[in-house]
Amino acid sequence: MKAAMFWGCRILTSQYAYEISAREVLARLGVEIVDLSEAICCGDPVRSVNDFAATFLGTRVLALANATGLYDLIVPCNRCHFVISEAKRLVESDADTKQQVIGLLKEEGLEYNARIKIWHVIDLLHDSVGLGTIKKAVAKPLKGLRLASHVGCQILRYSDLGRVDDAENPKKLDDLIATLGAESIDYNEKLDCCGSHLTYSHVDSALSLAGSKLKAVQALGVDGLVVSCPDCGMMFDTKQKDAAGTVGARLGLPVVYYTQLLGLALDVDQQKLGLHLNQSPVEQLLSKV
Amino acid sequence: MPKIGVYVCHCGLNIAGVVDVEKATEYAKGLPDVVVAKHYTYMCSGPGQRMIQKDIRGNKLDRIVIATCSPRMHEETFRKAIAEAGLNPYLVEIVNLREHVSWPHAHEPQQATEKAKALIRMGVARVRLLESLEKHRVSVERSVLVVGGGIAGIQASLDLANAGFKVCLVEKAPSIGGRMAQLDKTFPTLDCSACILTPKMVDVGKHPNITLVTNGEVLDVKGFVGNYEVSVAKRPRFVDETRCVGCELCTQVCPVKVPDGFNEGMSQTRAISIYSSHAVPKVAIVDPRCCLRLKTKRKEVCGKCAQVCEAKAIDFEQQPETLQLKVGGIIIAVGSEVFDASQMPETGYRRFPNVISSIEFERISDTAGPTGGKILSPKSGQPPKSIVFVQCVGSRDRRFHEYCCRIGCMVSLKQAILAREKMGQGVSIYVCYNDVRSFGKGYEEFYRRARDLDINFVAGIPSDVRGSPDGSLYFDVFERGTNKLLEMHAGLVVLANGLVPNSDLSRINELFHASRSADGFLLEAHPKLRPLESSTAGIFLAGACQGPKDIPDTVAQASGAAAKAIDLLLSGEIELEPLKAIVDNDLCSGCRVCESLCPFVAIEMKRDGEALRAEVIEVMCQGCGLCSAACPTGAVRIQQYESKQVLAQVRTACVGAMAGGG
Amino acid sequence: MSIIDLMSMAKPNLASRERILAKLRGRDLVNCFQCIKCTSGCTALKLLELKPHEIEKLVNLGFVDELSSSDIIWTCVTCLKCVQRCPQKASPYHVIIALRNLAVEREAKVPEEFMKAVSRVLETGLAETFQDVVSRKMETFNRKSLKLPMVYAPKESFQTVFLKALEER
Repeated sequence: MKAAMFWGCRILTSQYAYEISAREVLARLGVEIVDLSEAICCGDPVRSVNDFAATFLGTRVLALANATGLYDLIVPCNRCHFVISEAKRLVESDADTKQQVIGLLKEEGLEYNARIKIWHVIDLLHDSVGLGTIKKAVAKPLKGLRLASHVGCQILRYSDLGRVDDAENPKKLDDLIATLGAESIDYNEKLDCCGSHLTYSHVDSALSLAGSKLKAVQALGVDGLVVSCPDCGMMFDTKQKDAAGTVGARLGLPVVYYTQLLGLALDVDQQKLGLHLNQSPVEQLLSKV
Repeated sequence: MPKIGVYVCHCGLNIAGVVDVEKATEYAKGLPDVVVAKHYTYMCSGPGQRMIQKDIRGNKLDRIVIATCSPRMHEETFRKAIAEAGLNPYLVEIVNLREHVSWPHAHEPQQATEKAKALIRMGVARVRLLESLEKHRVSVERSVLVVGGGIAGIQASLDLANAGFKVCLVEKAPSIGGRMAQLDKTFPTLDCSACILTPKMVDVGKHPNITLVTNGEVLDVKGFVGNYEVSVAKRPRFVDETRCVGCELCTQVCPVKVPDGFNEGMSQTRAISIYSSHAVPKVAIVDPRCCLRLKTKRKEVCGKCAQVCEAKAIDFEQQPETLQLKVGGIIIAVGSEVFDASQMPETGYRRFPNVISSIEFERISDTAGPTGGKILSPKSGQPPKSIVFVQCVGSRDRRFHEYCCRIGCMVSLKQAILAREKMGQGVSIYVCYNDVRSFGKGYEEFYRRARDLDINFVAGIPSDVRGSPDGSLYFDVFERGTNKLLEMHAGLVVLANGLVPNSDLSRINELFHASRSADGFLLEAHPKLRPLESSTAGIFLAGACQGPKDIPDTVAQASGAAAKAIDLLLSGEIELEPLKAIVDNDLCSGCRVCESLCPFVAIEMKRDGEALRAEVIEVMCQGCGLCSAACPTGAVRIQQYESKQVLAQVRTACVGAMAGGG
Repeated sequence: MSIIDLMSMAKPNLASRERILAKLRGRDLVNCFQCIKCTSGCTALKLLELKPHEIEKLVNLGFVDELSSSDIIWTCVTCLKCVQRCPQKASPYHVIIALRNLAVEREAKVPEEFMKAVSRVLETGLAETFQDVVSRKMETFNRKSLKLPMVYAPKESFQTVFLKALEER
């Protein structure tokens, strides 16, 4: 499969481990990705300032995808996936917005195409590549690993928009983990938010939210937390130490991106999965692999 | 030369407030053959009708046009009125000046008046060509099929049987009693449900006028009002109903354990068992999917039940039966189901064993239930220290069912009160609610009783319910009255599941041509004035299948439906409207297009020498007009809606438009 | 509407209410019947006291002005739980976004990070700046040293068009 790839801002500017591991594993699973011609914002932070401008940015991403000539667009960041999906829904349902947006796109010689399918890494792997294909490619089953999955908020909610998985009982990421031979457990806080959006205005509260979830997951005695969004990765992994401070806990929970975990099961060299960049104590997890 | 009378109704201000009724009447006077043209405030009233009758007699009028509200309102009234004056009731044309003129064009009175004139002109053109028609009488069966053996079906059956009608009551389950049999107590009196229900169940079982078919369902319905032909399938029990004495020895020796459906799967029974402790009929039934002998189809396997049965009632060879019935009317009383809360995983249902549904609580509370009537948390088997009820699960929710389930509040109040009475003050009881709808007789007082018993009402619904390893539950809820965020802990969470349409309803819909409303329940003929009749003549609705409701309303509706059926069938005859298709044999070429199109299977081909001619089965014909529209020779016409009549209206409408300059 | 909030002596601003209603993308506001499910599950309630049901009701009654200049509208985490679980398809999230846009328009209190992010998008195309990361072994890396592909900023035409988009109300 050949698809356009939109990385968003966070992955390109700091969450390099996600990009490194995603490029690596997608290639090995037969997914050829084509970067868009520009590195551009999806509109997420702009939303709070001017909703129309954000819709324009989201649609612009789809127009850039259109320019690649491909009909599939992979969006590995949950927030980008939501903003672009809502932008597409609004443009399709509101003629005035559509007209305005298309007019602006035209000024740059860009064209919107409604047929572009928006994927996230999770449903791309689960529904398009398929669990069977992944299982066959697994060279080093992650037996004995007990993990907790954190799918995130904006690719599950809200159901009416058509999201990546069921909002109340998401199973795809758990299935993807199980296919690698590991166990993914159910837990009460599974659907709780990492708090990343609050870093724009209430940093301590954001860290506190992340810290509370990390504390709860750590108490489950799992070997690690698996994420699939760079904002969640930033909160749980990069800022784990800061988060620990806000909730008065000693946190030492390995946090990895699913693409990194998948890479491990495919027996890819750890350096090639950006595992040296994770800030959380991933050695604890790696020693069990 | 016809003598036409035109009457324009003001309908109070409904029509006269928009249409200039005087101008319209003046205009009518000028139309050809119109001898009398009058207007009046309420044509349908006594004086209005008498005015028309006087003119019929005095002026020897032979055609009447009444320009008034929709014919659906008063066409029948006016037909009766002119019949009383000696004129054939089918020689009247109703012109709709309300729904077609004054209501839609309320802000354009001048144009509305022009339209009124045009419609009157069209009405006159048509009425000139109408012909006298006679209603035909058909004899009817004085028997009724009641589908569903819950309290609605039971009540309706008893009312009909006591009135001398023969009733066949068909119930899908092995026993009648329905949902009410599963309840512990009923609100607001806290009567023991079984105690008030079982005498009626026994009466049904014994009544000479009632044929009870349990473990059965309706397969097919043919015919028409007063003359339905129904086939009912009776699934085999593998036990002879005439021999079984209900001793339950068979159940004791059966080696196969199965979940007990009557107890909502919370306990186990055996592959051969009696459905419930007060089953009617009290006869055992074998589940062929679980019974070893029936599953394996091998005669040497098990058979322990047959060995101990002293009445020799067990019959592994029993075959399904089909009964053919002829009934005059049908009452649908198939009830409703409980919302399956596993569609809302955030409630914790099916995730955490101590989150239960309202019907599961009923079984727990019932002394004949899985815990002997003790309120126990399913996981630990211990009495909970706190119980929280969560309202509106699956109801008032546009993601699932928008309607209010009507009984959720009262059920939780009842269950909370029962819990308090059984467990004393040692347990904390909370109800998380949105509104408390205690609308009926004695209901508000019941709500106060709950508060007097220290049951706390938390004004707010939790977003999700979470579970601790020990099985207890916790969740946050923001309380509206205190503006506080409360963390609540519960040993038992009871969901107030709403009532939802029976999953069988799409089959019922097809079998009986009974339409469904937007909420999925069966549609009544008119929500205010005809709540007991379905969209099909002769088929009535009773109970929760028409909409969620409590027992008092169900019983009232059941008796009402029975009365409606009695009203229909008592005289032994009904009249049929003559607005039906009729075939001119001389024009019919026998092409059979009409036969293939008729949705009511009302056209038969009859041999006429060498040729085939279409013949309309009058009693089945609904006058829909499909045959007439399709007939290539014009042989089929619909009485009162013949081409010449309709075309006359069309022609005069166009002529008027051209003359008036469009 | 003829009501006055006796605490603040504020009157409803119906024009602002209408503007917000128009922006709700098909979600409902008028049908909120205060079941409180949104607030019961609100991620930002415990730490920041955000009560989505209160915001719904205030906007529905027309008390928009005070909200648009408040701090509370900036506490939403955008977890979307309120949108998901609301039984009436009301959406406090979309109402809050509309209130935020109004705050920006009125130059009320807006956390500066948002405005900074918009500036960054305008100048570079991205809302974030490229950062160095330090591995657990205390080595510093950036995109180049990690041998990640080059990224290209948008053409100049983007700035003009984005500015136009920002002018839309």
